[in-house]
Amino acid sequence: MTDNFSEELKLLENMSRNFAENELLVSKQERDNYPFTSLDTSIFKKAEELGYFNLLQEESEDISNLASLAHALKILAKEDASLATAIFAHSLAQMTALQAGEGALLPNISGAEISYDRSDSEFANNSLPFVAFPCFDFPEEIAKGLTVRKQKGKYYLTGEVEYMVLGNLANWALLPAWMEGEENYSFFLFSLREDKVQMSSALLSLGLRACPVVELKIKDIEARLVGKSGEGINYYKAASELLSPSAAAISLGVMKGAFKEALEYSKQRIQGGREIINWSEVHMILSQMAIQCKTGEMLLEKALQECEKGSHGYSFSARTAALQLQEIACEVVSNGIQVLGGNGYMKDYGQEKRFRDAHQLKVLLGHHPLRKIAMLNLMENEEFRGL
Amino acid sequence: MNNVKMPSYDVKQELEDMTVSLQALQYLPRWMLRETQEVMEKTKKFNREVIRPRSQELDQKMHEDPDYLPWDFIKEANRRGFYTLFIPKLFGGKGYNLPSLSYVLEEMASECASMANLVGVHWLGVATLTSSWNIRLMNKIMRDVAEGERKGEPRIISLAITESEAGTDVEEVELLKKARVGCHIKKVKGGRVLNGRKIFISNGHLSTWHMVIGYEDVNRPEKTMAMVAVRTGTDGFSFGGKEKKMGQKGCPASELIFEDCFIPEENVCFDGEQIDKFSRWLGQPQRSVEEYNSQVINYVLSTSRAGVAGFATGVARGAYLEALRFATEEEIGGKKLIDYEWVRCQLAEMYKNVALARLSYVETNYANSLYGMFRLLQWKPMFYFLKLAPQQFLDWVVSPVLNQEVVTKFFRNLYLEGQKDDEIQRTSGWASLSKFSASDLGMRNCQLALDIMGRAGVQFDQRAEKFLRDSKLLQIYEGTNQLNRLNLFDCLIGRDLPGVATFDE
Repeated sequence: MTDNFSEELKLLENMSRNFAENELLVSKQERDNYPFTSLDTSIFKKAEELGYFNLLQEESEDISNLASLAHALKILAKEDASLATAIFAHSLAQMTALQAGEGALLPNISGAEISYDRSDSEFANNSLPFVAFPCFDFPEEIAKGLTVRKQKGKYYLTGEVEYMVLGNLANWALLPAWMEGEENYSFFLFSLREDKVQMSSALLSLGLRACPVVELKIKDIEARLVGKSGEGINYYKAASELLSPSAAAISLGVMKGAFKEALEYSKQRIQGGREIINWSEVHMILSQMAIQCKTGEMLLEKALQECEKGSHGYSFSARTAALQLQEIACEVVSNGIQVLGGNGYMKDYGQEKRFRDAHQLKVLLGHHPLRKIAMLNLMENEEFRGL
Repeated sequence: MNNVKMPSYDVKQELEDMTVSLQALQYLPRWMLRETQEVMEKTKKFNREVIRPRSQELDQKMHEDPDYLPWDFIKEANRRGFYTLFIPKLFGGKGYNLPSLSYVLEEMASECASMANLVGVHWLGVATLTSSWNIRLMNKIMRDVAEGERKGEPRIISLAITESEAGTDVEEVELLKKARVGCHIKKVKGGRVLNGRKIFISNGHLSTWHMVIGYEDVNRPEKTMAMVAVRTGTDGFSFGGKEKKMGQKGCPASELIFEDCFIPEENVCFDGEQIDKFSRWLGQPQRSVEEYNSQVINYVLSTSRAGVAGFATGVARGAYLEALRFATEEEIGGKKLIDYEWVRCQLAEMYKNVALARLSYVETNYANSLYGMFRLLQWKPMFYFLKLAPQQFLDWVVSPVLNQEVVTKFFRNLYLEGQKDDEIQRTSGWASLSKFSASDLGMRNCQLALDIMGRAGVQFDQRAEKFLRDSKLLQIYEGTNQLNRLNLFDCLIGRDLPGVATFDE
C-alpha cells in the first residue's frame, strides 16, 4: 500500500465516518420503516454527491478502488447496512460492466439525461443515476426468467425478475439473459424508465429495508448487450470475486456496530447489583464478539491484499471472507441482542435492525450454502496445496 | 492408577432427575391422552380457520400501524374457548389438563408465535395467580374470565413483573436482593396503594386483569414482594405506550402505569402479611418469607418456561415445514433442493430439533405433574372427580366453599409446605433446561430454514423471515437463556457442590 493510497483511504474513511454518524445514524429508524413510509431519496442523493456510487470509477493511480469501496461500505454498514447494500448492488453492476470491457459505459450511465418520464409517480420522483442489479440471486437463476430476441442487430428482453434491488430507484438495470443458441448467459443493460417496464410496489423483506427492492416485469424492451454474448458468466464470476471483500465488509460493519452497542450498554446496565459487563458470562459473550470482529478484520484485509495484488488464487480468499463473515455476523448480531436483553429486541436500539440486516446479508451474492459448496470446485490444485 | 476424584453427588437425586417421566407415568390418568387429542384437534381447526389465514396480515398491519390492537383475534379466541380451556372446572373453566397447554401453544406457534402469545400469555397470568394459592381470588378472577367468555367480552389476564431497571433481576430471588425496583406497594386501610411502572407487559393493553408484582420496601424486595390483582379501569391505573418490537408484533408489549392506585384487600393475592398469618397458623413453617417468595416465583416460572418451550417448539416446527415445502417445490442450481443430499441432512437436523425441543417441555411437564403446580389436578381421584362431577354441583356447592379462608390455608399447606426443596429444584431446573434448549433449537431451525430457502427466505411473503424475527424473543423473555442456564446450574448441579453459590462470583 503506497503512502498516497493510505492517505486517500484515511480521508475516505473519515468522510465515511462523518457521513455515517452525522447523517445515516440520525434518520436510519425512519428509513427502516420503508416500504410503509415513502422512500427517503435524500440520503441516496447525498451518497451519490459524496461519490460512493462511483468509487469504482476513480482514476487515481494510487488508490485501490476495491479497498476504498470495502472500507467505505464497512464504515457505512456499522450505522446502516441498507445504504451500503444499495451501493454494493450498483457497484456490482459497474464491476460486471468493467469486466466486460465496457468501462466506458459507466460515465454515460451516471450522467445520462432522461428525456421522458414514466407514469409511475414514485419512480418519476425517485429515479437516480444508479444501476439496478439482482445481487441476492445467482445470475443463472435470473437468466432463466428472461428471454432475448435479436432483430436487425438489436436485442429485446422479455420476462420477470422476482427481486430487483434498486429497481424503483435506478434509471438503469443490468440483467443476465440467455440468447438462443448460446451455452451461457449474456448481460444486457436497459433503461428502467421505459413504459415496457412494469414494477410491483416495494417488497417487504427481513432486513435492509431502506435498500428498495421490487419485482420487475419487462416486455420486449430494447437492451444493449454488455460485452460479448455468452460471456456473462465469466464477467460475473470475476466481478463477484472482486467484490466479495466488499460483501464481507458490509457484514463486518454490522458486526462492529453490534459489538459497539453491546459493549456500551453492558457498561451502563446494572443487574444483580453491578454493571452487567462485570458478570463473567456477559464478559465472555462480549469477548467472543470482539474476537469475531477482529478475525473479520484480518480476513477482510487478507482478501483485499490478495485482490489488489492479483495474487494467484485471490478468489478463494475473497469468497472465503464473504462466506465466513456473512455467517459469523448472524451469530454476532444475535449475541448483540442477547446482551441488551429485552431492550435489544426493541426498535429503540440498533441491535434488532442489525439482526435482521445480518441475516439478509448472508444471501448477498446468492444462496449461501450453494456458494459454499461451489468453493471446492473453484479451487485449483495449487490452492489445495496452500491449505 | 487414576487418582481423579469426581465431585460427590446424591445418587438418589440423580436417579430421580433422570427418571421424571417414568415416575410420573404411573400416577397420571389415562384420560389425559384423550383430552390432549381433543384440544389438539380443536387447535388445528383454529389454526386452519383463523391463525394461518390471518398471521401475515396481522404482522403487516403492525408494521403499518404499531398502535393497532388485535381485538378481533382476542374475541375469536375467546369465542372458541381458548381462555378457559385449562381453567379447572372448580373455577368455572373447561378443565382440560394443563400439560396439554404446551402442545396447544406449540401448535399455534407453528403458524404464528404472536397469536400463540395472544393466547399463551393469558395462561402465564393464570399460572401467576395460581402460584399465590389464594383460592378465593382464583375463584373470583377465573370465574370472571369464564363469564367474559359467555358474554363475548374477553377478560384475559397478564403478568406484570418487569421494570425498566430490573429485567433479569426480578426473575431470580438471589438477584432480586440487589435489584433496583421501583414498583411500590403500601399497606393502607382496606387495601394497598400501588405506585410505579411496569414495562414489556405482554398483552397488557388487551388484558382485563393484571397480576402485578410489587414490593413493600423497594430496598428489600426479596423480603417484601407482594402480588396484587389490578383490574383495567381501576382509578390510578393507566396504560403507557407499546414497544416497537422486531417480531411477535401482534402481541403488544405494554407499559403499565400506577399512580396512587388503590387495590382493595380482596385483590391482594399474596404478600408478607398473608405469609405471616400462614406461618403462624402452621406453627413451625419450614421456610422463611424470602424462601416462600422464591417458591412462588418458581411455581410461575416452572410452568411458564414450559410454555415458552412450547412456543419455541412450534416456531422450530413452523420454520422446518416452510423449509420442507420450499425444498420440495423449488429448483436451484438446476435441480430441486430436496434432491441435494445436504438439504436432506439439514431437514433431518431440523426435524430432530423439533423433536428434542418437544421432549424437553414434555419432561418438564412430567416434573410439574409430579412435584409442581399440576400435582393435585392430575391426582387420579381428583382428576376423575372433576371430570365427572356436574358443573352445576361445582358451581353451586363447591364454589362457595372455595371462598373460605381455610381452603386457601389448605392449598398453601399442600403446595407451599408440601413441596420439598429437591422437588422445587427439579421442576425449576427442568423448566429452565426446556426453555433455553427449545428456544435455542427454535432459533437454529429458523436460521437453517433461511439457509435452505436462500433469497426467498428473507422475503416477507415466504413466511420464514417472520419465524426468525419471532423466535429471537424466545431466547429473552421468561429470563434470558443465560439466566436460565444459571438457574439450571443452581438447581441441578450447584446443589451438590458445597460452597458454590451460583450468583456469587
